[in-house]
Amino acid sequence: MKTITTDIAIMGSGLAGLTAAVKAAEAGAGVAVFEKRPFQGGGVSNTPMMTLAVRDDQEYKDKAFKVHMEYTNYSADAAVVRSWIDNSSHIPEFINGLGIDFLHVMKFDLETLGQLPGYSAGFPKGMHLGDYYFLKGQGKGHGAAVICKRMADTVEKLGGELYFSCPVKGLIREGDKVVGLVATDKDGEELRVSAKAVVIASGGFSDNPGMIKEFTGFTYTNNNCDDGGNVLFNTFPGARMTGDGQRAVWEIGGAQGSMGINGHNLVPGPGIIGHTPWIMKNQMRIIQEQPYLWVNQRGERFIDEGISNNHMAMGTSIARQPDKCSYIVFDEATKRHMEQEGLEYIYFIFPAEKLTDVSGQFEHLIDVVGNKHAFVADTVEDLCAETGIDAAGLTRTLDAYNDYCDKGHDDQFAKDPAFLRPVREPKFYALRCFCGGYQALGGIKVNGKCQVVDDDYRPIKGLYAAGDCAAGEIWGNPPTGGIGVTTICFSQGFITGREAVEYAKSL
Amino acid sequence: MKVDIQDYCIRCGLCEDLYPVLFHLNIEDDKIDLKYEGDIPAELEDMAREARRDCAIAAIFLS
Repeated sequence: MKTITTDIAIMGSGLAGLTAAVKAAEAGAGVAVFEKRPFQGGGVSNTPMMTLAVRDDQEYKDKAFKVHMEYTNYSADAAVVRSWIDNSSHIPEFINGLGIDFLHVMKFDLETLGQLPGYSAGFPKGMHLGDYYFLKGQGKGHGAAVICKRMADTVEKLGGELYFSCPVKGLIREGDKVVGLVATDKDGEELRVSAKAVVIASGGFSDNPGMIKEFTGFTYTNNNCDDGGNVLFNTFPGARMTGDGQRAVWEIGGAQGSMGINGHNLVPGPGIIGHTPWIMKNQMRIIQEQPYLWVNQRGERFIDEGISNNHMAMGTSIARQPDKCSYIVFDEATKRHMEQEGLEYIYFIFPAEKLTDVSGQFEHLIDVVGNKHAFVADTVEDLCAETGIDAAGLTRTLDAYNDYCDKGHDDQFAKDPAFLRPVREPKFYALRCFCGGYQALGGIKVNGKCQVVDDDYRPIKGLYAAGDCAAGEIWGNPPTGGIGVTTICFSQGFITGREAVEYAKSL
Repeated sequence: MKVDIQDYCIRCGLCEDLYPVLFHLNIEDDKIDLKYEGDIPAELEDMAREARRDCAIAAIFLS
């Protein structure tokens, strides 16, 4: 058995862990980061294209806090939300301090908070909380990958140690405080780490089917959903996000916090999902966000489809349908509309455009690629036979829905009349959508100082948590956002780095 | 020309999405598999240069 002594031990080298490591090292503390994979970056290193900062203005921060709490229906922990928002104003300066410029900055007035789609703090309209900073990436990747690498280099320059291929196996608790951790080094030998404080920043649990089932009710699946599962993760498949930190905390008496999946509507592969979802292999990914007719397996509508590009809301809604699946259904006329006049909207990082040869893309997907979730039929009855949608249910839905389209008012869900397009003209097209997951997050209950608490909400001395593993306290359950969890990772990284060092100095 | 992947590669799979002729994200073994372990065919050299430029973390080296 090997032994290491350090001031601050950090589990995980994603945005949260490395931010904490940089801040602690800058404060003069000895830092050791333990990462089970052979490189830095965690589960978010390449995905994020932007982050959110609530500007350092009291009125602005107050309003952002209230908007977030009201949006989560106060299911979020107010103290944790407040500390995240208040610390986020330091994010731009921190990133610039790493020698990284922003590609683009979008600043918004106080009056807009709570009014616009809140991309970097979740997609839902009205969840807009502040200014957006687009991260300058390398090549065709997004910027967080470079930030993580730069932070790792910074930690080493400041005298910190990075232990890669070194999974943490458990925490060491003595009485009311945590005094270290146990890991396995790259040679497979046990490593006993004595630390004054430990920061858990190990990410979510997207790659742990057992935890997905136990804590969210979903059945984990592969990217093609050909194994009977109904939730698929399209960001960093195989990122080894297995909830190690959550389980280590629970084992020594830490409380279980809110847990959930940040979902979105997603047609399974093959042929649609790539490892890097912003590099689209075809236009099916755009079609699956259009606000046309959506039905469930019973052939019934279940939502105002006008919000179908609001990923969080759509994912939550699909998850409540039979078999946790849904279908977007359209006809030849709507297909022509997408090709000749263009789409209704496109998730804003992609340019709005007219689609090309939709029939050919369906044909390729079905006949060449072998995708089992795309359908084309000459009649509604045939479409139901192929998809398994209840024919009587869909027929009733179409009768009513086409009537709404004719009169220009959606009596059922009040959808924007601009999106009312009838389904009458053969051929008929459908895409089966399951609940995609950006990530599974939460599980560690923390307070406003990011201290891990026990079941009685008492802080466990010397133990802190940041990022995805602690974000459940901010997003509530079901989560209202989360793809923009970068803002939480940076902010809670600041908090844990600072608090852990102060605690260590007090010993 | 030989292609090499640095240890700090984050296994995002962007290289396979863009250039499957040269790369494969091996999720099971948590690494990027090179389709050509030795010299790559001359007709793929431009593609390899593009891959080096496109890599999210500049982990693709050419020699």
